[in-house]
Amino acid sequence: MTRYLARRLAFALVLVATVSSVSFVLARLAPGDFVAGTLGAHASSDAIARERARLGLDKSLAVQYRDWAAAALRLDFGRSMLYDRPVGDLIPERAANTAILAFAALAFATVVGVPLGIVTGTRPRGVLPGIIRGASVVLLSMPPLLTSLMLVFIAARTGWLPIAGMRSSTGADNAVLDLLRHMIVPVLAIGLPLAATLERLQAQAMSETIGQPFVVAASARGLPRARVVWRGALKAALRPVAAMYGLMIGTLLSGSFAVEVITAWPGLGSLMLQALRARDIYLVAGCAGAGALFLALGTMASDVALAMVDPRASERESHAEAA
Amino acid sequence: MTRRAGAALTVAAALCAVAAPFLAPHAADSRDRGLLNAPPTWLHVLGDDGTLHAPFIYRWRIVSRLEQSYQEDRSARVPLTWFSGGHLVQSSNEADAPLLLLGADSFGRDVLSRLLYGARISLGLAALAALGATLIGATVGGLAGYRGGTVDDLLMRGTDFVMVLPAMYVALALRAVLPLVLTPAQVFGLLAAIFAALGAPFIARGVRAIVRSERRLEYAAAAEALGASGWRLLGRHLLPATRGFIAVQITVLVPAFIVAEATLSYVGLGFPDPVASWGTMLHDAATNIRVFADFPWLLSPAVAMFIVVLGLNLVLQEEKGRGAGLAARG
Amino acid sequence: MPPPRTRALLILWLAITLAACRAASPSSESAGAKTVSRGGELLVSVRSEPISFNRHASRDTTTHLVMMLTQARLVRVNQATQALEPMLAESWTSSDGGRRFDVKLREGVTFSDGAPFTAQDVVFAFEAAYDLRSGSVLGDTIMAGGKPLKVEAAGEHAVTITFPESFAPGLRILDALPIYPRHKLESAFKAGTLRRAWGLTTPLNELAGLGPFVLSDYQPGQRMVFTRNPRYFDKASDGTPLPYLDRLVVDVIPDQSAELLRLESGQLDMMTSEISPDAYAPLKRAADEGRVKLVDVGVSRNADGLWFNLKPGAFANDPRAAWLQRDELRKAISLAVDRQMFAETVFLGAGVPIFGAETPANKVWYWTGTPQTPHDPAAAKQLLATIGLTDRDGNGTLEDASGRPAEFTLMTQKGRPNLERAVAVIREELKKIGLTVDVVTFDSTTVVQRFLGAQYDAVYYNATKTDLDPGTNQDFWFSSGSAHPWNVEQKTPATDWERRIDELMVRQIASRDDAERHRLYDEVQKIFCEHLPIVFFVAPRVYAASSARVLNVTPSDARPQLLWRPETVAVAH
Repeated sequence: MTRYLARRLAFALVLVATVSSVSFVLARLAPGDFVAGTLGAHASSDAIARERARLGLDKSLAVQYRDWAAAALRLDFGRSMLYDRPVGDLIPERAANTAILAFAALAFATVVGVPLGIVTGTRPRGVLPGIIRGASVVLLSMPPLLTSLMLVFIAARTGWLPIAGMRSSTGADNAVLDLLRHMIVPVLAIGLPLAATLERLQAQAMSETIGQPFVVAASARGLPRARVVWRGALKAALRPVAAMYGLMIGTLLSGSFAVEVITAWPGLGSLMLQALRARDIYLVAGCAGAGALFLALGTMASDVALAMVDPRASERESHAEAA
Repeated sequence: MTRRAGAALTVAAALCAVAAPFLAPHAADSRDRGLLNAPPTWLHVLGDDGTLHAPFIYRWRIVSRLEQSYQEDRSARVPLTWFSGGHLVQSSNEADAPLLLLGADSFGRDVLSRLLYGARISLGLAALAALGATLIGATVGGLAGYRGGTVDDLLMRGTDFVMVLPAMYVALALRAVLPLVLTPAQVFGLLAAIFAALGAPFIARGVRAIVRSERRLEYAAAAEALGASGWRLLGRHLLPATRGFIAVQITVLVPAFIVAEATLSYVGLGFPDPVASWGTMLHDAATNIRVFADFPWLLSPAVAMFIVVLGLNLVLQEEKGRGAGLAARG
Repeated sequence: MPPPRTRALLILWLAITLAACRAASPSSESAGAKTVSRGGELLVSVRSEPISFNRHASRDTTTHLVMMLTQARLVRVNQATQALEPMLAESWTSSDGGRRFDVKLREGVTFSDGAPFTAQDVVFAFEAAYDLRSGSVLGDTIMAGGKPLKVEAAGEHAVTITFPESFAPGLRILDALPIYPRHKLESAFKAGTLRRAWGLTTPLNELAGLGPFVLSDYQPGQRMVFTRNPRYFDKASDGTPLPYLDRLVVDVIPDQSAELLRLESGQLDMMTSEISPDAYAPLKRAADEGRVKLVDVGVSRNADGLWFNLKPGAFANDPRAAWLQRDELRKAISLAVDRQMFAETVFLGAGVPIFGAETPANKVWYWTGTPQTPHDPAAAKQLLATIGLTDRDGNGTLEDASGRPAEFTLMTQKGRPNLERAVAVIREELKKIGLTVDVVTFDSTTVVQRFLGAQYDAVYYNATKTDLDPGTNQDFWFSSGSAHPWNVEQKTPATDWERRIDELMVRQIASRDDAERHRLYDEVQKIFCEHLPIVFFVAPRVYAASSARVLNVTPSDARPQLLWRPETVAVAH
């Protein structure tokens, strides 16, 4: 197992390095650069040239990449042109904000989605499963932009929840409670569609497992249905959910641009697109690398979880066979 | 029963898309400058005098241009004409009182017509991309799950790479090397290819997990012992086991593709203006500050998307009862 | 009895509806004392974070706002009257034909950290702006004729400013120059790292200024909190020390819908970005209910315009070179577009048709003789026929002499509804006279890049001017200017009329006689209208909104509309 993990970690590093490098190159190839975007429309070409020289943007792509890669090996990821701060400081700050939302949304989605999926999967006919299925499809078909806007609108109209922002401006009595209140809208915006996905996945897996021979046999022998469901079928049915779980964490940690912009949550998702718009190549590479790291760790975690819920398909076996 | 309902919905949506020129009262880009964000023209059958008439509408009269508020002009009934000029139904006075069954958007264009024409683009794109993603994803995932070992590693790391590379960056760089003006057909093909590539990794992951564990089951070992080749095993036994998972993924991917078209248009990879698409319609609606309070008809593409996705889900994601699993294994 | 889950849902739905009704009904708040007095907090929103706390480092709106709140200038342009007002400069006299200003500075003024304000700070401010090594973005804005001013201290509280040539706008350009504390920034300046000084990670007690507020808290990505500067030098007319506000909180809210919802519900006092015409109706509703104050400030001084790539040789191998850069094409476009319909579609009627480089908002300099081009598509077609574009095959589109269709690409920025709607209107109107327009939209950096590299046919974008005095817009008017959009930074004027404008502007800037300046600038505008290097269509009306508790604000049509004089803003409390 440790050899396997070590190999995966090595792959993760390779992935991070590749993705950041490719992003760096792509951002550089995109039309315009940081100076064009910020000074461009009115500044004199002298001023633009001076600014480019100051930021090192007048060098060729090869030289820029070489300098950046060499520094990255020393864990110096460059300086963001947009914020004039080291990328290595900026990204963890924003990533932490996004992580708060990501874990909360995933917890919410699991608590809501998985049980509902079990309900729908074990009893496909009926009014309640029908409503749940309908609600899931509604949430899945709505774009995240629309979901966030609707939630913000509801928050505004009802006055229960703060509209946008991470914390209140006036010193709140309890900082944690204040943060939680501000989290509700973005967590719902991210978590509701996620819950719907989990519900659909779980429903599918459950309904397949329910029909399998071992379940039918157990029922025929007179075991109570609930026990059959919760013991045997659940474990087998968690397989596809486990496969996607790590993936979900990985993508959630990269942040959702739409939700973060509308709820004014300063996270990694909005940072990534800001960096792209501004052609801040160092920030772009850093964000892409961070996203790659989260995804690699997420898929690794999900593969480990997969091995645990389905021991018959563990890596050890497959490697022994391949050898 | 639900499967048939789903099939009916999906087929109906496809028919609407195909028959758009006939069903839509107007062209996708015909505007009425005096009717920006006008509400739907309600169909009446009861006149003010209490007598029954054939369905008719009232003309919208503009009350305030800045506030975009309108009032029904009850002085005259405007009857509808059917099967004329190649359209199913139109108002008898299109110049002054156009038929706006789902209201008008911020340019004064008929939302229903744009919805129908947009269905061709958006549904066609999503279907093509979903098909491509499924083909690529199932192949990659199936291969990885079946072979295991180095092949599995390489393929999965490859999918990781595609998943994590920010699509916007690629799209922006790609746009720069493409010619300045792209025809709608070129944009369509390009977007279908990009979405297929973006959606495939999600399918590949799940397919690989399922294939890998199914492969260890008794029936697979039995089939192998009986001399079944790898491909036959994959095709007849292992991959069909992933059907349910793929069904759910398609349910998730189709609306994502429709919406992603609007996102990519920010870097210039979108359809040019006269072409209507659900993604752009939804985006324009969502960014309109007054949509929830005053112009809810602008959100009809969301309802349309819901109907299509529901239909797809009902068709693809079968709700099996007990014992159905036995039959599937045969 | 419905199952428990359904019951819970019903109750939830009921609760939401009731709460919505409660929130929608007008609140019967007590107006409180509506007199202007000290105290209270103002909540303001911006769309993006500042790039730095140092105005020398960036031009973005939020950095500019930070400067306006925490720093002071020598003089200030009153945005309501357009007159030049003293700020740190108490009074000044001019001599030597207006080339020399002896400025008397206020005495007894100290920075927010207690250090005294002296003439050395003023000299330093200019040095910092002009230093090429530092690369300040402010350098270009405080030059006359492209040359720096000479500034010398004449005692502790007096400076002498000498202009390199006769410059009519005079001290107006100093509205842009904040006077930073020399004792804080001099070491960075000497080390050549002035740009990097006072970045976002600077400890807040390192920042000092002469402005009404001090930055007391910064939460990255979220907000900035400003508190009153107790050492601020100015007082109200009745002797009350300014500023009125105790605290000013600036929240970062990137999305317009969220901003407006907050403003409508009273969780925000004012926005610093423009209010789009779509937002008018909900704000008017809120204003009718007394929650918001909505003001029609008038026509904007800036408008978006359409211009072609007039660089000679840009279309060298392109057969369209014969007609694409001709004056007649632009004049035909000006005739073909129905400006009334344009105003209705793009600005919902809240716009004024304009035909030249200035809008009526510029009351002082607008040429009242600007010809009002009628909407005449037939005349447009005739004009196009004179440059060889006619409908030769009767298919509704114009072709040139060799039968090639008259087609060009129009580039604009994606994500700005005003621009996108405008190009849709332009495309349709030109289709009616047979010109085919391909609209391409990109993100802003791509648009600017293509425009800088002169790789475009036509672009629809804004050509903003800063101050109203044309002498301060030299980059726009002079053919050698960097903001002369249709053909930037020409070494020698490419056309005869541009040469004439250059000559007229030189005289206009140097002249000391107001009447002559007006006459010369009218002539410049006349030439502009004859050749239409930029075709303007409609200038929008500007609306400013604030919550009902905000008092004592004078709106301006330029940003920040309500905060250009932050020390006099007050709230009811």
